[in-house]
Amino acid sequence: MEISNRLIRRNSRKGVLSYLYFILPALIIVGVVLVFPIIYSVVLSFFNWAQVDDGRRAFIGFQNYLDLFKDRQFWHSLSLQLGFIFIAIPIQLVIGFFVAILFNRQFPAAGLLRTLLLLPVFTLPVLSGLTWRLMLQPGYGVISYLLEFFGFDASRGILSDSGLAYTAVIVQDVWRMWPFMFMILYAGLKSLPADIMEAAELDGANFFKKTFLITIPMLKQTITTAILLRTIDALRIFSEVFVMTNGGPGNATMLYSLYIHKQAFEFGKLGYASSMAVILIIVSLLFAFGLVRKNMDVDTL
Amino acid sequence: MKKLLVVLFLALLCLTAFGATTIKVLAWDDAHTQAWVANLKDFEKATGIKVDLELIPSGSMLQKTSLNVTENRANYDLVAIDEGNVAKFGDLLVPYSKWPEGKTFKKISTTEIPQAIFEAALWKGEIQGIPINGNVYVWITREDLVENPQYKKEFMEKFGYELRVPETLDQLANMAEFFGTKGIYGWAPFTKNTEGATCEAIMFFEAFGTHFMQDVAGKYVITLDKEKALEAILFYRRLMQYAPPGANDMGHAERIAAFSDGKVFSMFQWPGIIPSHENEDESLVVGKIVYTAPPAGPSARAAVRGCWIFGIPKASTNVSAAAEFAYWLNSYDAGMKLAEDGMTPVRTDLLTNPVLLETKPWYEGMAESGLFAVSRPNRSVYYPEISEQIKVNWLAAVLGTVDPAIAIDNMVNQVQALLDKYGN
Repeated sequence: MEISNRLIRRNSRKGVLSYLYFILPALIIVGVVLVFPIIYSVVLSFFNWAQVDDGRRAFIGFQNYLDLFKDRQFWHSLSLQLGFIFIAIPIQLVIGFFVAILFNRQFPAAGLLRTLLLLPVFTLPVLSGLTWRLMLQPGYGVISYLLEFFGFDASRGILSDSGLAYTAVIVQDVWRMWPFMFMILYAGLKSLPADIMEAAELDGANFFKKTFLITIPMLKQTITTAILLRTIDALRIFSEVFVMTNGGPGNATMLYSLYIHKQAFEFGKLGYASSMAVILIIVSLLFAFGLVRKNMDVDTL
Repeated sequence: MKKLLVVLFLALLCLTAFGATTIKVLAWDDAHTQAWVANLKDFEKATGIKVDLELIPSGSMLQKTSLNVTENRANYDLVAIDEGNVAKFGDLLVPYSKWPEGKTFKKISTTEIPQAIFEAALWKGEIQGIPINGNVYVWITREDLVENPQYKKEFMEKFGYELRVPETLDQLANMAEFFGTKGIYGWAPFTKNTEGATCEAIMFFEAFGTHFMQDVAGKYVITLDKEKALEAILFYRRLMQYAPPGANDMGHAERIAAFSDGKVFSMFQWPGIIPSHENEDESLVVGKIVYTAPPAGPSARAAVRGCWIFGIPKASTNVSAAAEFAYWLNSYDAGMKLAEDGMTPVRTDLLTNPVLLETKPWYEGMAESGLFAVSRPNRSVYYPEISEQIKVNWLAAVLGTVDPAIAIDNMVNQVQALLDKYGN
């Protein structure tokens, strides 16, 4: 009996080891590219860590976090970032959802149109930002021209007005990323069982009833996944805004990631920027847990 | 056989011991430094020193230098440093006074490069390196417009003096107003939320007779005269009336486009950008530009300086060879060739050389502007944060989002808070 137990234990250890051998490369990669930078950022956030090693680097405990909470620009950039998420993503969701419903029906050239609609998603963010910056230029920008044509005074420059520049950043993101929502929701719609819709139609349900009472509840987890992915992506938005407005005019579009960049690479305060990055990780996790816990099974992820 | 092996080993040892010195040089990558690459063999042939020249995008220079030059370690023997970052690296560099005399090329003195330009390398009262480009505000004006007889006549009738390249800011305002009636924008500001906006603030403060900050016994003290600063801001706002559409958000790209399109009469430009105005593929005003120093304000002319310098890290083991390379770059003979290949020289005798001026007429404006060079208050490790406060409040004032008097108070208070926080 004793011998057989030992054999079982040895075999099970061997089994665990063989599993470990298989997952070790993945663990190493995840550790190096994901876990290490996060730990490093957390460690840096407790230091006064200047970009240039001139002997001023020192451990300062929670001082960076205390300074952060007193920094008005930190709160300003965080509010701009959250505002951006709460405005842009719902718009993308609504557009993506209704276009997905439209494309769920058969019509000529639907396949081609569907492919073309996806093009903005594949545009490099930096290219998108630059193109929008040029299109919004007064004098020669096509959007400014169209706005003038329809009687809106764009001669002062859309990007030189605080409110309009923030709006332009959001519009640019909506243009680029709504097809992403469309893509996910369209795939979700295609996977819905057709018999339920047919039964609803037989019962006389109109378009709105079908949409709000059947489609949306059944797509709930797909919608949550789409929102989650977009939210995580939107929290990291940087290059398009950097080339479009560089945070201006003034600090009107200084989104959170731009402010982190400014602190790290303009002011050379890597410790302070790391503490901002840690806060961003916490905010991302809060979003993720909030969305997942309320709306979906972990298995769906 | 054994003897042969010993001889070969000794020969190899000799080659290693007495072989050519190699220096590692870090600089930014553009036409200026590509001219060095094209002529590197001349230097190597003349000195026997090998150069391992690494060119990277200018935006990555600070990061790369930070990682490779520290108190005890230098992976480069010579590094290009933007003037704004001199304070960050100043303590890590060999002061220029301690650079050795050159063996092949003569050490450069302030008789060859103007003192005002040499001061780009100033840190803690000592020059820490040598300027390697003459980057200073140059004033560009449409010559064809000021020479137009009809415009001359009309201008004389209206303002009572001759239309010419503006020598004062008041003249510039008059001319801007005049050309506004001819469908030409008088002037183009720099209002993008970048360092360029700080440069504008400093130029106008200096021209109106006030320094934002001054080094008093090794400590920065805010010395901005509120009244003069207010005059400068109000004058800038006056000029804004004659600026092109989108004036509230103009950066390099927008200014280049407006001037090259022939829509702007007169404005400042950085020397590195000027060749695009003189390039027929990119500009409608080729050969129609005159280059001078900026017009004088009520107090003085002020041309903002933004040079790159070469510094030798204290931890470098090849100080003599590194210095030799810097002397070669700034020598007259090499400079003639390098300038032809795209380098913007810094020596006065090159900037005023008639042969070079034939193809690069803006050199004259650079030489003139160099005499009026003013620096930003960038001799502080925390300059980027100081600049941020100057920029944001200056823009708020000139764009009219905050009352100018309040913006000046905010600017002063916020920079003072930084000085207090960091102990200067």
